[in-house]
Amino acid sequence: MELAIFYLFASIAIVAALGMVVLRNAVHSALSLAVVFVALAALYVLLNAPFIAAAQVMIYAGAILILFVFVIMLLSPRVDQGAGALKWQRPLAALCGLVFAVELAIVAASALLPTERGPFTPERLAEIGDVQAVGALLFTDFLLPFEITSLLLLVAMVGVIVLAKKR
Amino acid sequence: MPDAQTLWLISPELVLAIFGLAILLFAIIWRERVYGALAWVALVGLALALAAAVNLWGAHARLFAGMYAVDMFALFFKIVAPIAGILVVLISMDYLRERTRYRGEFFVLLTFAILAMMMMASSANLLMIFLSIEFLSYMSYLLTGFLREDRKSNEAAIKYLLYGAITSAVMLYGLSLLYGISGSLNLGDVALTFSKSADTSVQTLALVATALVLAGLGFKISLVPFHQWAPDAYEGAPTPVTAFLSVGPKAVGFAVLLRFTLTTLPGLPEFANYWTPLLVIISIATMTLGNLVALRQTNVKRLLAYSSIAQAGYMLIGLVAVNLGGSSPFSGLNGVLIYLFAYLFTNLGAFVCVIAIENATGIVEIPEYAGLVKRAPLVAALFIVFFLSLAGIPPTAGFVGKFFVFGAALREGFLVLAAIGVLNSVISVFYYFGVVRAAFFLEPKDTSPIRVAPLVTLSLVVTAAMVLLIAVYPEPLFNLAAWSMAMLK
Repeated sequence: MELAIFYLFASIAIVAALGMVVLRNAVHSALSLAVVFVALAALYVLLNAPFIAAAQVMIYAGAILILFVFVIMLLSPRVDQGAGALKWQRPLAALCGLVFAVELAIVAASALLPTERGPFTPERLAEIGDVQAVGALLFTDFLLPFEITSLLLLVAMVGVIVLAKKR
Repeated sequence: MPDAQTLWLISPELVLAIFGLAILLFAIIWRERVYGALAWVALVGLALALAAAVNLWGAHARLFAGMYAVDMFALFFKIVAPIAGILVVLISMDYLRERTRYRGEFFVLLTFAILAMMMMASSANLLMIFLSIEFLSYMSYLLTGFLREDRKSNEAAIKYLLYGAITSAVMLYGLSLLYGISGSLNLGDVALTFSKSADTSVQTLALVATALVLAGLGFKISLVPFHQWAPDAYEGAPTPVTAFLSVGPKAVGFAVLLRFTLTTLPGLPEFANYWTPLLVIISIATMTLGNLVALRQTNVKRLLAYSSIAQAGYMLIGLVAVNLGGSSPFSGLNGVLIYLFAYLFTNLGAFVCVIAIENATGIVEIPEYAGLVKRAPLVAALFIVFFLSLAGIPPTAGFVGKFFVFGAALREGFLVLAAIGVLNSVISVFYYFGVVRAAFFLEPKDTSPIRVAPLVTLSLVVTAAMVLLIAVYPEPLFNLAAWSMAMLK
C-alpha cells in the first residue's frame, strides 16, 4: 500500500517536472512546479516527516513559487520568447543532460547509500512530537547556524533595499 | 545559552556582529550626517576583532556540538581577515564619496563579509561550511553591485550571482551526499565513516561528493574551470571591492578547502590516486590560463583579475604537495599559508595603486598609464614593488611564498608541476612589466601631477612595507604558519 502511494506521487512529481520544462507558457510551468512541490511534500509524509512536508508546502509552494509568479507577471514574457536564441544550445543541453542521467544511473546502480538509522525513529518522534524535536535541535545543537541565518537574512535584506530602493 | 567561555572564544565574531549592527543602526538613524564617521566605526570594529583574534592565539576548542573549530589554523585566517578589512576600508572612503549615497550600508556589508570570512575559517561542519560560504557570497554579490547607477557594476553583480548560485547548488548536492554517506554533518565524523568503510560503493559516492564540493570551493577561489565570473566581476565592481574579492574570499576559500581535504581525505588513502592528479591538472590549467589570458589585457583591473586566477593556481601546488608527516620545513601547507599572507598584502597593494590613480583621474586602461612616473612617482615606484612580488622575484614577499610552495612540490617529487609553475612565473613578468613599461618609459599626454589622498598613501606605504618586511624578516610569519598547521592535525 505504502509502495503504491509512493509510486503514485513519485510519478506525479516526475510528470509535473517534465511539464515544467516542456510547457511553453511560463505561468503553466510555474503551476507544474507547484504540483512537483506538493507531490514531494506527500513523499515526505510517507517518510514520517510531516514537519518537513508542511515546511515544503509553506516555503516552496507558498513563498518561492509566489516569487516566480511575481517575476513572470512583472516581466510578462511572450509565449514564443527564448526559442532559437542560441541554436547550438539545445543539442548541447540534451547531451549534457544525457551524460548526467547516465552518470546518475551508474552511481545509483552501483552504490546504494549505506544509511544508518538516526536517533529519531518514527516511534521516538511519536513520543516527543515532530515539531518539538526540530525545535529542540534548532536551539541546542544547531544554535549557531540558526543565529547566523538570522544575521544573514537581515544583512541581505539591507543590501537588497540599498540596491533596489527608489532614489 | 552558550557559556561565557564559548562567548569568549568567538569574541572576534561577536565584536564584528555588534559593530556591523551598530553601523547599520547609526546609518539608519542619522543618515548622511554620519556617513563620514561610519568608516571610522568600522575601522575600530575591525581593529578590535583583530585584537580579539590575536588574543585568542593558542586556543584549541570545538564549540557548538563540534561544528565550530577555534584552533590556530582558524585563528590564522581570523588575523588575515580583519587586516584585509582594515585596508579595504581605508581605500574605500575617498572612492565611495563621489560614487554612492549609501556609504554607511557599504561598511555594514563589508563588516559582515569579514565576519563571514572568519566563520568559514572555523567551520568544521558541512552545514556551517555551506552557510558561511553563502554568507560571504551574498555580501560579495551586494558589494559588487553597489554602484547601482553604474551599468558595469550591475552586470558584474548579476554574472557573479548567477554563477555563484549554480556552484552553490552543485556544492550543496555534494554536501548532501556526504551527509547521506556518514549520517553526520561534522567533518570529523565524515572522516571516520570514510576510514571505517571498506565498501567500494562508499568510495565511489565519496569521490562524486567531494568532486562536487570542490566545484563550489573552486568558484570561491576562482580555479579553472570555475573562474569565468572573475574577470567581469572584478572589472565591474567598485575597485575597493575588487581588491577585497581578489584576496578575501580566495584566502578563506583555501581555508575551507584545506580543512575539508586534510580532515576528511586521509580516511581514504586510495583517494590520493584520484585527487592528486585532479588537483595537479586544475593547478596547471589555472596558472597557465590565467597567465596567458592576462598577457592580452589592456584594462588594469582585468589584468589583475587574470593574475589573481593564476596566483590561485600557484597556491594549489602547496595543497597538491601537502605532507604533514615529516619534520621538513616544506610541508606544503605552510607554503599555502605563507603564500596567502604574502599575497594578501601584495595584491591589495597593487589594487591600492590602481585606486590611487582611478580616484584622481578615472584611468584604468594601461596605455593611459603612460608617463605615470612623472605624474605620481610614489605610485609608479610601488607598482614595481607589488608586481615584483606578484611575479615572485626577490626581495619581496611573493618570492618567499613561491619558494615554499615550489619547494614542497620539489620535495614531494612533482618536478613537472614545479617546472610549469616557474615557467608561468616567467610569463607573468611580461604582462606585469607591460604596466611598468607604460608607467616609466612612455611619454605622457597629460603631465599634470596626480594627487593621492592621504589615507590611500597610508595604505600604500603599509602594504609596501609589509611586502618588503616579509621578505627581509620572514621568521615571525614562518612561526605563525608552523603553529597554525600544527593545530590542524
